[in-house]
Amino acid sequence: MTSAIELSTDAHREEALRATVKNLYIYVVLLLIVVGFSVARVGEVEMFGPGHFLSPDSVVNMLRTAAPILTLSSAFTLLMIAGYIDLSVGSAMSLTAVVFALLIREGATFAVAFGSAAVLGMALGALNGLLVMRLRITPVIATLVTLSLYKGTALLIVPGGVSAIKSRPGRPMPAWINDYARADVLLGLPWAFYVALLVILALVVVQRRTLVGRYAAAIGGNRTAAELSGIDPVRWVWGLYVLVGLCAALAGAARASYMSLGDPLSGDGMELDCIIAVLLGGTAFAGGEGSVGKTVVGALIIVCVTTGLMTVIPAFWQTFAKGSVLIGAVALNHLLTRDRPRLL
Amino acid sequence: MEPTANVLELRGLTKDFLSVRAVNEVSFDVRRNTVHCLVGENGAGKSTLIKILTGALPRTSGRILLDGREYAPRNTRDAKAHGVSTLFQELNVVDQLTVAENLTLGTEDTSFGFLRKSRRIDRVIEILHSLEPSIAPRQRVSTLSVAQKQIVEIAKAVAAEADVLIMDEPTAAISEGEIERLFRIVKGLRSQNVTVIYISHRLDEIFELGDSVTVMRDGRHIATKPVAEVSGRSELIQLMIGKTVFEAYRQRSEPPGEVVLSVKGLCNRKLRELSFDVRRGEIVGFYGLVGAGKTELARALYGADPYRGEVAFHGRRLPTRTDEVIEAGIVLVPEERRSQGLFTILTIRGNVPVMNMGRVSHHGIIDGTLERRVARDAVAELRIATSSTEKEAAKLSGGNQQKVVFSKCLFADADLLLLDEPTRGIDVGAKSEIYDIIRRLSREGKSILVFSSELPEIVNLCDTIHLLYEGRIRETLQNGPELDSHRLLHVATGGV
Amino acid sequence: MVPGGSFTSKLSNESFLSLFMAGVLLLLFAAACVFVPNFYLPRNVINLLTNYWYVIILGIGVTFLLVTGHFDMSVGGNVALTGVVCAWACQAAGTSPNELANGLGLPYGAAVTLALLCATGVGAVNAFFIVRLRVPSIIVTLGTMMLSRGLAQVITRGAQRNTSLPDVFGVVGNTFLPGTPLKVAVLIMVVLVAAAFALERSTVVGRYTYLIGANVEAARLSGVKVNRHLTALYLLSGVLAGVAGILLASEFKAGVSSRATGYEFDALVIALLGGVSISGGFGSVLGMFVGAIILSVVTSAATGLLLSPDWQFTLKGVVTFLAILAQRFALDRRKG
Repeated sequence: MTSAIELSTDAHREEALRATVKNLYIYVVLLLIVVGFSVARVGEVEMFGPGHFLSPDSVVNMLRTAAPILTLSSAFTLLMIAGYIDLSVGSAMSLTAVVFALLIREGATFAVAFGSAAVLGMALGALNGLLVMRLRITPVIATLVTLSLYKGTALLIVPGGVSAIKSRPGRPMPAWINDYARADVLLGLPWAFYVALLVILALVVVQRRTLVGRYAAAIGGNRTAAELSGIDPVRWVWGLYVLVGLCAALAGAARASYMSLGDPLSGDGMELDCIIAVLLGGTAFAGGEGSVGKTVVGALIIVCVTTGLMTVIPAFWQTFAKGSVLIGAVALNHLLTRDRPRLL
Repeated sequence: MEPTANVLELRGLTKDFLSVRAVNEVSFDVRRNTVHCLVGENGAGKSTLIKILTGALPRTSGRILLDGREYAPRNTRDAKAHGVSTLFQELNVVDQLTVAENLTLGTEDTSFGFLRKSRRIDRVIEILHSLEPSIAPRQRVSTLSVAQKQIVEIAKAVAAEADVLIMDEPTAAISEGEIERLFRIVKGLRSQNVTVIYISHRLDEIFELGDSVTVMRDGRHIATKPVAEVSGRSELIQLMIGKTVFEAYRQRSEPPGEVVLSVKGLCNRKLRELSFDVRRGEIVGFYGLVGAGKTELARALYGADPYRGEVAFHGRRLPTRTDEVIEAGIVLVPEERRSQGLFTILTIRGNVPVMNMGRVSHHGIIDGTLERRVARDAVAELRIATSSTEKEAAKLSGGNQQKVVFSKCLFADADLLLLDEPTRGIDVGAKSEIYDIIRRLSREGKSILVFSSELPEIVNLCDTIHLLYEGRIRETLQNGPELDSHRLLHVATGGV
Repeated sequence: MVPGGSFTSKLSNESFLSLFMAGVLLLLFAAACVFVPNFYLPRNVINLLTNYWYVIILGIGVTFLLVTGHFDMSVGGNVALTGVVCAWACQAAGTSPNELANGLGLPYGAAVTLALLCATGVGAVNAFFIVRLRVPSIIVTLGTMMLSRGLAQVITRGAQRNTSLPDVFGVVGNTFLPGTPLKVAVLIMVVLVAAAFALERSTVVGRYTYLIGANVEAARLSGVKVNRHLTALYLLSGVLAGVAGILLASEFKAGVSSRATGYEFDALVIALLGGVSISGGFGSVLGMFVGAIILSVVTSAATGLLLSPDWQFTLKGVVTFLAILAQRFALDRRKG
């Protein structure tokens, strides 16, 4: 009989190999996509010239519009690692965008508007936490309910007759609202991007080097073991929901700033994008493991695909394309994270 | 304060469940820094006693003194905080984290929430390496074997300065070589100021490992002695069985009929090359203790788990899908009646016909009248104590619940019944009724396979007895007046 | 709600909840009658009972799946896809320079069949990922929601197909039952609900659904073919979405890619309002029906009070949340 020690080294090697594949495939996919779109219209457009996928304008634009999904999906990952989900992130983003735009239009300074949106986002997250952790409503149902609530509230804030919070007679939207998400601060990229970058870096660190990340994995991996070790899932997961809410607010402010208006439908579908990003990044459905960094790569893949497809196929293919990506990501994720039951 | 000589003192500890007294005025002492073994048959009350010690169950009466002070844990975490840790069979490690992360889970050193490297991590890893130097702290726990995960848990308990470490059948799931290592570690724990309470049915381990041994039987404390003063296995077995008068096995009036089930070389992850035959009307027992492979065998035959080997039923290959096995005429009364055998939110009427809906329906439409009649018949036939068939199954007593499971299975018109621990946790009266049912079925020509760890049950019921140990049939005996029940326990606990 | 006792306890928790929600419905109706002019008129009451017919049809499939602990969020997209395919299939072939006016030129019957096949196909994709690969149903069905709606958008180039359709296309969706203000679709809805109710209460297949929801492990060990059953439920949900899609396309004489947006959420809401629980295997299509009326009353009252349609999201959220709490409270009180 193989000694236990040898067994573990073999298993260790096999695990290391699998881990390597799991770590690298996503960069390969991103590379392929970028290369693919770069050569897609090779005859028509000059490489790196105007209109090309990798032209400076195009890259800057992609990164600017990516700020919301990058922020959101990072926080979303932590929540999924703990084994929970939040389908209301898109509506929370819309609601905070609307409030942000409204405050600015009515004369608030950027700091006040931004701060208020952030607080609102955290409150929205706290409400989700209450429903899921205290009232113990299934996360899917609880966050679908809040999705409806937040979306409804956003729609109601916007007066009938207009589609969004924007300039109206006598009350123009200040032009500087754009600055946050568009004005060039460094390398052509705006504050919103750097804030998103900061958030990503912070959450990568949180996941790997802080108690939050460690406990999220413990709760998602083996809740009983976590509880026995003195970890209170209610407190920690509630905190994660608040964090997700905060990031939804950051995303909302960025979107409102970018579009110079508060659109109550601007966040629609964000939760699906987050799910795709998280799936591509290899986070398991059941929780216990995942990586903020790889989710971010997944988010970049979504951004590239969305932008790139726009140049290659008509707009009405977008939904189908996204759906295919989601189903594809599901299949991929399944291949990467399934356990092999060894009963024979 | 001077540490007391006894780390634990139990005084008159009693635990009642409704009509069953699981632990009956148990009193004994556990000396500090020893390996104190706890043995007893299934149903002796060991696991209930342990659950009280670990705070998973409240006691009914009695006292426990831990380190000389009153000890009454409210839950498992509370027990841990007092220094009583447990190594369960379901390992409490997070597979997705590393060894080091598991070791420090809940006790991390942080500054402003950031995890810090600290002396404490080093200390814990030192402890781990003193137990087993080959486990790398940065390894993911999912890559470890069961034995290694156990060691990680032991290290964690030692690092948490546990006074008492309870190990419940730790060797059930690990290999020979690993057992040696575990023994070495357990013995070493004494010098780390840890007292080990070691529960095992493998009597050889008691002699190898234990300083003292406590024997329980029928919820009572029988004896506590230093292992050195125990003359041998037979003395322990004698204490475990006592003067239990087994209801005399009734010799069959007719010999069993032709072979209906023929098993050759059945194996899977837990079972090794099992071969046996079952005849019509025969009651065949599989006796073994934890980890012997009883449930695995039952599930394999039932198509619930995969296996290799040849199994023929009525001369034809036995299907490997549960629904087809049922159709072929084999049913299973599962080990866990609440989570596997019954639909607790349904009524008796809802539960009974489930395995053979065809008999209460016409062309797929359920006949309510037929259904009600069937349920009433079942209640009458098995004497299920209930005022109506509309009672929710969850509200029945254990014995009646098991009877419902039986009627469920009987309704499937099976020829062969697999019974996995058929009377576990059931009061004496209901047990006796169920045994009558089993004997009646056998007289009617049905074949019964009883998988049980209760010695009296096997001895009272079965015509043929296979002794299972570590997935193998070690011995096969025919029941009769010369049956030596000591031999049964001897083989089931690892003897040869 | 449940004829002559049931296979759950005497006044089963299910029946109790259905009655409870029916009581809530009556209360809401009474309140609405007080505050909204003309709410109690027969014409309005008939509207209340029938104007959510399409969501109710979808709700049948969603309810059965929810009882087993699974979601189906693809029904809205499926409805759109089916309508679009049906339209496209019977648009005259190759007669027009406008892409959107050209179709496959099939007879209506063939078009309907093709559309239903597509609808079932969506269900099959769901079943594959959920039953075979064991992927959580919420994620899969959100994906198939996008796929089916996306396909509808592709076929209609993001708009709709409403030209060169044969006259028969608009028949089934616009025919009224003789002597009544009710459309055929309502009759179909009633028939389907009745059939579903009979299925759930009185058939073996219905019973298996509850067994799987109550305790899937015990169901397996009792010989229930769980995988096959779940697959069938997803296919059924797909077909029902197809039926709704065909009827709606016929009613509006167009295959519209944006049709049925949000219907999957509404279907879930009415099931939750009706007391269907995702954990524990209980809930009834009758409860779902009551839930649909509750939703209908609430939204109609809102309209009657001149609230803008934007209120519906908030209302649905609040109502569902209150219903979940109320149901939990009622059940806890009942257990004593």
